[in-house]
Amino acid sequence: MSRALAADVPEIALTIEQNRFQPDEIRVKAGTPFVLVITNRDPGPEEFDSKPLRIEKVIPAGKTVRLRMPALKPGVYSFVGEYHEKTAQGRIVTE
Amino acid sequence: MAATFVVTLREGFEAALLLGIVYTCLEKLSARQHYRWVTLGGALGLAASVLMGVAVSLLSGPLLDLGPDLLGVVVIFTAVALLTWHGWWMRRHAAALRGDVERRVREAHLTRRLWAVGLIAFTGVFREGAETVLFLWGLVAQAATGVATWSGLAGGVLGLATAAALGVAVFHGGRRLRLPTFFAVTSAVLLLVAAGLVATGVGRLQGLGVLPETVAVWDTSAVLDDTSMLGGFARGLVGYRARPTAAEVTGYAIYVLGAGALFFRRPASGRSP
Repeated sequence: MSRALAADVPEIALTIEQNRFQPDEIRVKAGTPFVLVITNRDPGPEEFDSKPLRIEKVIPAGKTVRLRMPALKPGVYSFVGEYHEKTAQGRIVTE
Repeated sequence: MAATFVVTLREGFEAALLLGIVYTCLEKLSARQHYRWVTLGGALGLAASVLMGVAVSLLSGPLLDLGPDLLGVVVIFTAVALLTWHGWWMRRHAAALRGDVERRVREAHLTRRLWAVGLIAFTGVFREGAETVLFLWGLVAQAATGVATWSGLAGGVLGLATAAALGVAVFHGGRRLRLPTFFAVTSAVLLLVAAGLVATGVGRLQGLGVLPETVAVWDTSAVLDDTSMLGGFARGLVGYRARPTAAEVTGYAIYVLGAGALFFRRPASGRSP
């Protein structure tokens, strides 16, 4: 857990607005942990859900959640907003 | 409406299945007086889910970042421990049912620990409960502010009602089975449900970075996607994954072998003290 507290962990902002992710594609370096800072600007909660990453995280309306992401192998990892799967879709590309 | 229906049905299915099985077990063992433990456990699970939903909405900072995730992992592994206990306990009880005198003694001895079935009901409901509460709450908020229509909420409520109906169907179906058949089927179902929970727990630990990331062993998402309705049932019932990691498969296999031996191995002497 100490590594998440280190100052050099890059932070990437992700916003939920009108049941969509902005941006819907995130590019990060493979093998480096990072922090996703997810802000929900919608009136209802959303659940950041990535099946390939085994992450499910509820972000209440109007809140910001800091999600520590482990170092990932190169690849494409999809995620959805589970409460609005049709519109809230995105992916993390590591290379 | 269809989309919200699928979400709540998927979330509620596992809880309904567990409640149905636990009620039927008590009915089969002529221990109806212990229904109240299950009902109490389920009701407390629901109350805890609402509280958790409220808490998540009020929290912020590190408590919100990590708190719910850690609690989620604890609930998953607690549920696994309880289901393992239940499978072991059923095997002992099934063995005890062979002799009638022995049965009465055994029953008095065993029923003292039946409050634990209430805990199964609690964890079963609480596991996905807070998420479901937040989901429905969001539907209300969005309908009230005109962002969405009320039909989404209707779908969500209908999904939960359908899950509950499935639980009732499990109860009525299970009641009709002969006792040995019922024990065998129930043990098998609980074994696979618990193994699926182990896989989920291992996956969460990987997501949290506690366990290292491992590659997906296979990909059957084209055949049966685990986010679809059918895939969701398979996920709750046998722990199906479309793209499981090596660690999840390993955890699942170890649990099935270890707990399977505990659930199905005949007692060495046939009558343990």
